[in-house]
Amino acid sequence: MLAIPSSIIKNMIAHARELAPHECCGILSGTEHTIAEAYRITNILAALSEQDLTRFDGAKLTDLQRLSPEERADIAFQMDAREMAMAQRDIRSKSLDLLGFYHSHTFSPARPSQTDITIAMEFESYRAKLHLPEPFHLIVSVEHSDQPSIRAYRIRESKPTEVPIHTLP
Amino acid sequence: MIKVRIPTPLRPMTGGKSEVEIAGNTVSEIIDNLGSAHPGIKERVYDEKGEVRRFINIYVNEEDIRFLTGKDTPLKDGDEVSIIPAIAGGS
Ligand SMILES: [Zn+2]
Repeated sequence: MLAIPSSIIKNMIAHARELAPHECCGILSGTEHTIAEAYRITNILAALSEQDLTRFDGAKLTDLQRLSPEERADIAFQMDAREMAMAQRDIRSKSLDLLGFYHSHTFSPARPSQTDITIAMEFESYRAKLHLPEPFHLIVSVEHSDQPSIRAYRIRESKPTEVPIHTLP
Repeated sequence: MIKVRIPTPLRPMTGGKSEVEIAGNTVSEIIDNLGSAHPGIKERVYDEKGEVRRFINIYVNEEDIRFLTGKDTPLKDGDEVSIIPAIAGGS
């Protein structure tokens, strides 16, 4: 179970709609199983060079290389590292934890893609050394923009497990 | 020597190693020496202007170098440098 204030759910959905067809992304702070705050982070994918794209894996990389820079942000996101570091710093100053990451899917359901799983495992490989708690991975689907859906997952050993969201008033 | 953690996408350049030991007194020296020992890696960390690429964070122990003194951040024996790409994903 993950508890999220309704204002934050609305904020994530609004973020996804504002950026569609591009994917949006952000990070979430809180304690244990309750989200306290969402930070919008810029998706810098369209600004990445061809060489930068190689941080993605095989199939996704091939797809990205086929598209124009603008179109790339429709199928993937890359968080701005500086903004992410600033948000992490703010989270620490409030004595909260980095509890999760969110991003949108603009053409598909709210389920982790292979790329999402691969990068979640990459994060897992260094997370403990930075003393960060295991994150929740949230996906907002605005595939049907009048019926947005939002789902949360834990991703362990490359296997996503859905975590029910409890909306707080 | 400083322990440097190498992120998954850069491991092909370190022969698959996730950690390497590099000599250097500052972050900048570490990245230079890392580039000499493992050609190609420095270009993947810095952009054309010599700045850390926009999707990469460099940590000394648990602190981002942006909140220390950037690439001039001094290092002492036992410090650990982590090169970490910010979260990404897709659909
Ligand atoms: Zn995704």
